[in-house]
Parts: sequence; C-alpha cells; structure tokens
Amino acid sequence: MIPISYNVRNLAVRKTTTLASGIGLALVVFVVAAVLMLNNGIAQTLGRSADPNNLVVIRKGSENELASTFEEPSVGLVLATPGVARTEDGRPNGVSESLVVVLLDKVGTDGFSNVQVRGVPDNVLQFRKNVHLIAGRAARPGTDEVIVGKGIRGRFKGVDLGQSFELRKNRSVTVVGIFEDGGSSFESEVWGDQNTIRTTFGREGLVSSVRARLESPTKFDGFRASLESNRQLNLEAMREDQYYDKQSNGLRIFITALGLIIAFFFGVGAVIGAMITMYAAISSRQREIGTLRALGFSKFSIIISFLFESILLALAGGAVGALASIALSFVRISMLNFATWSEIVIAFEPDAKSIGIALFVAGFMGLVGGLFPAVRAARMNPVQAMRA
Amino acid sequence: MNIASIGMRNIWRNKTRTALTVLGGSVAVIAFILLRTVIWAWNVQIEYAAKDRLATRHKVSFILQMPKRYVEEIRQVPGVTQATWANWFGARDPRHPDEFFATLAVDPESFLAVYNEASVKPEDKERWLQDRRGAMIGDVLARKLGLKVGDKITLQGTIYPGDWEFNIDGIYLATQKSLDRSQFLFHWDYVNESLNDRRKNQVGWIVSRVSKPEQSPNITAAIDKIFDEKDVQTTTMSEQAMNNSFMAMFSAILKALDIVSIIILLIMMLILGNTIAMGVRERTREYGVLKALGFSSGHVGTFVIGEALTVGVLSGALGLLLSYPIVELGMGRFLEENFGSWFPYFRLSASTAVVAVVLSVAIGALSSIIPARQAARLPVIDALRRVE
Repeated sequence: MIPISYNVRNLAVRKTTTLASGIGLALVVFVVAAVLMLNNGIAQTLGRSADPNNLVVIRKGSENELASTFEEPSVGLVLATPGVARTEDGRPNGVSESLVVVLLDKVGTDGFSNVQVRGVPDNVLQFRKNVHLIAGRAARPGTDEVIVGKGIRGRFKGVDLGQSFELRKNRSVTVVGIFEDGGSSFESEVWGDQNTIRTTFGREGLVSSVRARLESPTKFDGFRASLESNRQLNLEAMREDQYYDKQSNGLRIFITALGLIIAFFFGVGAVIGAMITMYAAISSRQREIGTLRALGFSKFSIIISFLFESILLALAGGAVGALASIALSFVRISMLNFATWSEIVIAFEPDAKSIGIALFVAGFMGLVGGLFPAVRAARMNPVQAMRA
Repeated sequence: MNIASIGMRNIWRNKTRTALTVLGGSVAVIAFILLRTVIWAWNVQIEYAAKDRLATRHKVSFILQMPKRYVEEIRQVPGVTQATWANWFGARDPRHPDEFFATLAVDPESFLAVYNEASVKPEDKERWLQDRRGAMIGDVLARKLGLKVGDKITLQGTIYPGDWEFNIDGIYLATQKSLDRSQFLFHWDYVNESLNDRRKNQVGWIVSRVSKPEQSPNITAAIDKIFDEKDVQTTTMSEQAMNNSFMAMFSAILKALDIVSIIILLIMMLILGNTIAMGVRERTREYGVLKALGFSSGHVGTFVIGEALTVGVLSGALGLLLSYPIVELGMGRFLEENFGSWFPYFRLSASTAVVAVVLSVAIGALSSIIPARQAARLPVIDALRRVE
C-alpha cells in the first residue's frame, strides 16, 4: 500500500486547488445538512408535544383540529370512556379545546398571516406539564387575558407581554404571559379562555378536540374501539404522535423534494469540481505515478491511493460544511404549515443522523469524482509516465 | 493570431478539464435558472390576477363566514357590476385520498359571470344550472381524477361532515391563467339547505367585478365602510393584493431559494476559478517566455481573462440550451398540469435567461481576477526558472 501520508501531503502542497474544491464540497454538505436539519426541525416542532400516553379526539373525517367541531356534551362521554387516566382528585385527566385562526399583522413588514388561537380550559397547565410560563403570569379564567407562545412573541403586532390585539372589533385581548414548551408548535399559538374565545367566534357550546391521558399506552386500542363503536358521537381517536405525524407530512414532503432537487444539482457541480482537481493532480504527478509503478506498487494500490485522496478531500470539505451547518441551529424561520394554513416557527435541529448523512454524501461525491482520474492514473504506462 | 485568440486557444489544450469545467458551469447555470424560474413563476401569479375583481372576506379569520345578505349590499355599491360568493367546502375523494384540490360551493350563474375566463360549453352550463347536485370541474382535475361528463362521484366532507354525491355536469377550461383549472365547483344551495340554522346562509368570501379597475381603491374602501358598524366586519382587496398577501406567507421559502441561488453562483465561481488557476500554474514557464519576448504584463493578464470569459460564455450558452427543454417541456408542463394552483405559468422568462448568461460570463471574468494578476505580476526570471 502507498502510505496515507503521501496523499495528505499532496493535498497540503496544492493549497489553492484543495481549498477551491474543498469549499465547493463544503457548500454541498452545508445545504444537504441544512435541509435534513430543517426536516428534523419540522418533525420535532410538530411532534415535540406528543406524549405516548396522550390521545387526540376529533370529529370523524375532519383531518385536523381546525376543521373539527362537535357538541360540548360529547366531551364528558369521551372522558368517561374506559382507559382514561384520573388526576389526583379523581377527575378524568383530559381537556377539551377550541381552536380558531385569526389574521394578524406581522411586525416589520406590511404583510399579515394566520395565527392559531386556542381556547383552553382552566386546568390546561395541569394537563400539559411541559408548558411553563417564562414571563408574566397565567391568564385569569373567564377574562380577556391570553398567554402567547415564545415562538410568535414579538413577530405579530400586539403579541408581546403587556400589549393587546383585537380578536374582532371591540374585542381585544391582553397578553399577560409568555410560555414555552420545549420548541413545540404550541409555542406558535395564542392561548385564551375557552369561553371567551368561543363567544367571540360564535362557537358557543362547541369544541374542536379533546385530549386525554391514558392509564398506559397499551389502553389505546381499547379506548378507540369503545369510542368509535358509538356511531352517534361520530368521533375518531388518534395517538398524539400519530396525529402530529399526519399534520407535518405535507410540509416535510415539500421541503424534502425541494431539498433533494437542490442537493442533486449541487452534488453534480461538486463532483465535477472534485474531478477537475483530481485530474490535475494526476497529470502533474505523472512522473511520480510512473516511479511508484516502477517501484512495484500495483495498479490496484494506485487506484486506492487516488480514491483515498479524493475521499479525504471530500470529507475534509464536508466536515467544514457540517460544522458551518451546526451554526444554523441558532436560526429560526417562520413558515406556513400547509395542514392548518397557520404560521409555525421552526428551528434547524442538528442531530447526528443529519450530519452523518451529509458526510456520507460528501464521501460518496469524493468517490465518484475520484474514480475516473484514479483509473486513468493506474492505466499509465510506467515507462512513458516517467519520461514525461 | 491575435492576442484575444491566444486566451481562447489555451482552453483547448486540456480538453478533459475544459469539458468538465464547462459542464460544471452549465450545471450551475441550469440550477440557477430553475431556482429563478420557481421564484419568477411564484410571483408572476400576482400579475395574472384579474385587474377588475375584488374579494371581500371576514376581517378576522378565514374560518369565519359572512351573512349571505352582504352579497346584495355589495351589488348596490356604485361601480360594482357583478358579485358572486363561494364557500370553501374542503372535501376529498376517498378513491384518491392524497390528491388535494379546491372544492368550492358557488352560485353557478353569478360565478360564471364574474369568472368569465372560465370557458364552458353552453349545453354543459345549461345542465349544471338545472342540476342541484351538479358539479363543474376544471379540465386538469378531470384528468387527475379520471372523470368525464355524466360520471357520478361521492366526496367526503372534512368541514361539512358526511358523504356528498355529485353528478359531473361539465368540464371548464380557462382562457386566462387567472383561473385555477383544478377546482371542483358545485351548487352552494346543495350544501346550504342541509345546514342547521346556525350555519345556514353564510358565505366564505364574496367576489365582485368593477367596471373601472382604476377605481378599485375607492370601491374597496366603500365596501368595508358599509359593514364597519355591523357585527361582522370585512376586508376587501383587489384579487392582485389578495394573491400578493397569500404569496407573502411563503416568503421564508422564497428567501431560502434566493440564498441557494447565490450559493450556486459561488460554487460555479470556485469551479471556474480553480480551472483557470490550474492552467496558469501549469503555463507559468510559457508566460515567462512571452514576457521575455516583450509581451507586457497587461497582455499576459488579458490572455488569462480571455480564457475565463470564453469558459463563462460556453457554460452560460450550454446551460441555457439545456435548461430550455427542461423548463419548457419537462418541468413546466408537469408543474402546470399537476400543481396548477401553485404554478399556473411555469416558463423560462427572457429576463431569467439573460440574467443567467450575463452572470455566467461575469463570474468567468470575476473568477479569473486572482490568477490573471498572479500571471501578470510574475517576474520573468522566476517564471522561466520554475520547474513543475
């Protein structure tokens, strides 16, 4: 085998060329990693609040909470279904909520966008233990006070602590608290008193969904069977994670398709860049290659050596790109969720898998880019090569 | 042989490298053109909006509706010639659960009058007007769902629960791009008569036509003023402004595409710059000889820039040549037929083509600045002595 240090030194000697193709590869890895991290962010944001013990009940066929409405008396029946856990004081552990969407003006532009407003009952913070207030205080029940998620705080006019905005004419609500929920989509919502929200939107006596905690995840099938056997209710039950998975599907497919197309073009460009570099490396080292062959190194070890050099170059560039992409975790973007037509704030979420895939792509590009030049090097006639 | 042609001839000395560079450059140009075309196609919809149509919706939220009597009041506003209304029905075809299309409950007669770019056969129109369960569908949707006139179809309502049966009475074409060809239109009465008192006689949005488009700002203000003191306030805007605000919800994605298209240019610059720099390094001795013969530093620099410009022109030309069929025949047709509501018009615009080629040439020139200066500044003795 030709020693590895030979390749490392070669890359170090031809600094400019190595740098140029390395940066090209770094950019590709950066984009691939960014797309994967964004997808991961979408899945996390929409799935983070999912608890394996929790389930969502919505009207049959309505696909999401926003389109779902049903009569309040059904709530009691849902919560009385066997399998629902109880709180310490013996009541069923679940909440009914009313979800609406309002158009609010964005800060900084003259545009506007949809924001989800969730009418929640008094015990919502006991049910959702992960939700914490980070500023201000909880809204008093039965008032026009609301709390808002930290994701949309300050992104819309009037949506910040102490400010107020109109839900409809002469019905303004005041923001008294800011909450966080580990980056979940709740952080892009406004939470207000359920009755206030319902009367403001003319939805008295109606709810959008029921969320309940199960005694254990295994009770789900029994719960669903008994709920859906009551055809009069016309409701369907889903595990919370399953529900969120469905909600984020459209957005994820869109980002993946877009990302793949872009990554493909970038990849072709970078492979060509690596090829140019490797061809140049070979033509200027003809004599060396001839000498190596004359010394008795086989064709195979020449191929391996040049492939290794090309992969090394790609991985070095890729590592730089991957490091740069991790810096994206400080970036938050506001996007439209196709399932609800509302804005959600998504962060790029770096994880080992995204970085790993991006580096693998880099290595693969190095392999493809180095293959033809390496074969050409191996095919050289040693005598002619040394004479060059 | 004049000075400029030396630069051009130099690129033929290493054919593999030139071919690869031009290929790499043209891939970058194709990617750039595709991205710019997506951005362009997205924005062009705004321009295709009908100039003489206004849309009125509930001020607070798209999920809230307005009383139907508002239509009559809008018809009385001076300058409004016609008005129609629609409700978002939100149904899906159980046989094609993943196919998304707009299902609108409309008033057939006034709808066809306001959207007069819908072209419908007279006998189809007559049949639709008579048939309460009749549906009129766009030709694109008809092809996607495999429907023809005379078929029956059952849709599942997501917002209006239950199974709904329709007869396909006609298929419309669009004479202008302002009408989505994948809509499912049916009688508003059919839904309305099935609703309870609370949801009855409500409309999602009202579209009106004005006789003089230049008066639209006054008319929109006049319409909103009528309802300002009623329980449901409205927001009226031109179809163009409405499309604009809708597109603005995707601004994060468009911004990302913008950034990516710039990164592509950077990659292209690296590939080109690398090739040119390699050429200069290999020809160091030659440049030394030229200088020793009396060619000035300026001449040597010009050779290098001329070489880079040639590669830039070739990349731009090849890229444009290849992207034309991709956009016009492949992607454009596919997107217009399958995603017509997003990209009603996906074509390579002249401005995109010109910008791409100009940038490609400019990048060629830009990437050669450093190598050209190196070549120009080379001391003759060093250049001649250099062993490579």
